[in-house]
Amino acid sequence: MIGIELNEGKRMPAITVRAEFSAVVLKLCVAPGDRVARDQELLVLESMKTEIPVTSPADGHVGAISVSEAQAVDERQVLLVIET
Amino acid sequence: MGDESWQPELDEAARRATMALEMGGPERVKRQKDAGKLTARERITGLLDDSSFHEIGGLSGYAEYDDANQLKALTPSSFILGRGRIAGRPVVVGANDFTVRSPGADPASGRKSTAAERMALDLRVPLIRLIDGFGGSVRTQESLGRTYIPDNPGWEHITANLGQVPVVALGLGTVAGLHAARLVASHYSVMVRGASHMFMAGPPVVARMGQVHTKEELGGADLQARAGAVDDVAASEAEAFHLARRFLSYLPPSVHELPERTAPTDDPDRRDAWLLSAIPRNRRKVYDARRILRALVDDGTFFEMGKAFGGSVITGLARFDGWPTAVIASNPHIYGGGWTAQASQKVARFVDLAQIFHLPVINLVDIPGFVIGLEAEMAGTVRHGARALAALYQASVPWCSVILRKSFGVAGAGHTDHSRVQHRYAWPSADWGSMPVEGGVEAAYRAEIEAAPDPDKRRQEIEDRLNRVRSPLRSAEHFLIEEMIDPRDTRRRLCDFVNLTAKLRIPGPVAFGVRP
Repeated sequence: MIGIELNEGKRMPAITVRAEFSAVVLKLCVAPGDRVARDQELLVLESMKTEIPVTSPADGHVGAISVSEAQAVDERQVLLVIET
Repeated sequence: MGDESWQPELDEAARRATMALEMGGPERVKRQKDAGKLTARERITGLLDDSSFHEIGGLSGYAEYDDANQLKALTPSSFILGRGRIAGRPVVVGANDFTVRSPGADPASGRKSTAAERMALDLRVPLIRLIDGFGGSVRTQESLGRTYIPDNPGWEHITANLGQVPVVALGLGTVAGLHAARLVASHYSVMVRGASHMFMAGPPVVARMGQVHTKEELGGADLQARAGAVDDVAASEAEAFHLARRFLSYLPPSVHELPERTAPTDDPDRRDAWLLSAIPRNRRKVYDARRILRALVDDGTFFEMGKAFGGSVITGLARFDGWPTAVIASNPHIYGGGWTAQASQKVARFVDLAQIFHLPVINLVDIPGFVIGLEAEMAGTVRHGARALAALYQASVPWCSVILRKSFGVAGAGHTDHSRVQHRYAWPSADWGSMPVEGGVEAAYRAEIEAAPDPDKRRQEIEDRLNRVRSPLRSAEHFLIEEMIDPRDTRRRLCDFVNLTAKLRIPGPVAFGVRP
């Protein structure tokens, strides 16, 4: 799955969610520790005048969030981690 | 019978053919299987129609003789060649046998590989390469006692084939060097996740320049698909065979024939009610372009290619009223559907594929323009974009555009060759121009906005003024769009289009030289 990788080295099985394209973080919809369901909206990116939601790849908890609102992110940049 | 019979020679040939079936011997075959991989012969069986394989050159290999000049052992060549059938249609197949390590020179393998290319070309049938091999090694230097100027054997045929017959290449093991080039010099290439790796040079060589990577990190299937080096990733070898068969089902045997219509399986007048509200009224919101595509094509016939590369454009093959068709759609979920350098490369290669094999093109358009910014400039986006435009303007296959939403700027204009008679439809959500009002206002009205006592208010006033003339109906008044349609009628129109233009497809090779 594009933009997602398993962090097998970590104690907690976690999935890193990356930006699939360069964009600006328009809105964060979750906070660290939040319980999320698969396909739930995690944050909204803005690119080419379009609001593009990033959804959770799995059921789990939100781990570290690496970005903040209004921040520009590059393609492949880590956005946040989902602990499953 | 009697003394004149040639039976002893036939018996000897049969004995040798049986030896060849042993491939690299039980130990090496076991190692291949333990690694979770099929043998070359199992692959051929898995790919082709049941019992359709007809081997050619099955007696070739490295022979060892005893003092009485009797054959002791025959190590088969590391390339298996033959013909077979896929969905009843003849194909040529060539497979590297990774289990074979010839104790001596194996010149037959190279000759067989070249013969596979030539046979497909001469017979005008598809070629499938089952690739599992590394390419060159400095060991050769020791065994030959000399070096050599490298050449690329068979490359004249490999290149010619791209403009003549469908070429599918499956990377099924560790693929490097010449074999990596053979994998990508195809119309459709697939690697198997976890089991196949491809690189110009493998981890030990790369480590010499200080980069320490595993095979997976350096040349895993997902990495190479994302880079656009191969088209797709399969979860297993069986799935890779399935993808190869499916890809070929849409194509003619060669450029000298036309893609065949199959008996229609879906109602051309089918109307899916949800299409009326498929595009959000808020232009900034996204929608599922693949769901729209699947609703428009004959049910279950959409075959996406290259999903991991240049993701703002979706490309694939499908059928409309039974006719094989090349389909392009913008994907608003990546860069809002904007054309990146990669998306442009994807469009150029895909349009060429359609042109080479006489497939009509249906293009679902939502293009906000080229992706902009420093990164995009540094990626040479405009050059790749101009190449995509050139491919479009060189194409003469029937072409139909449906403008679902945006068509802005040079990339937006690239939804069609504007000089042709247009088979073009707009959905009521269509929105077009040189630049969208948002953003474009700052550039065009800067002086006026800056001079105003309340610049924000003035910007809003200008935007409102411009938005009032934004309706696509105003363009229709001037015949700038041929037709606005109810999205639910789209399938009917597209089926009409492929039926109407089927006779305009002309068999034969394309006028340009085809490159991988």
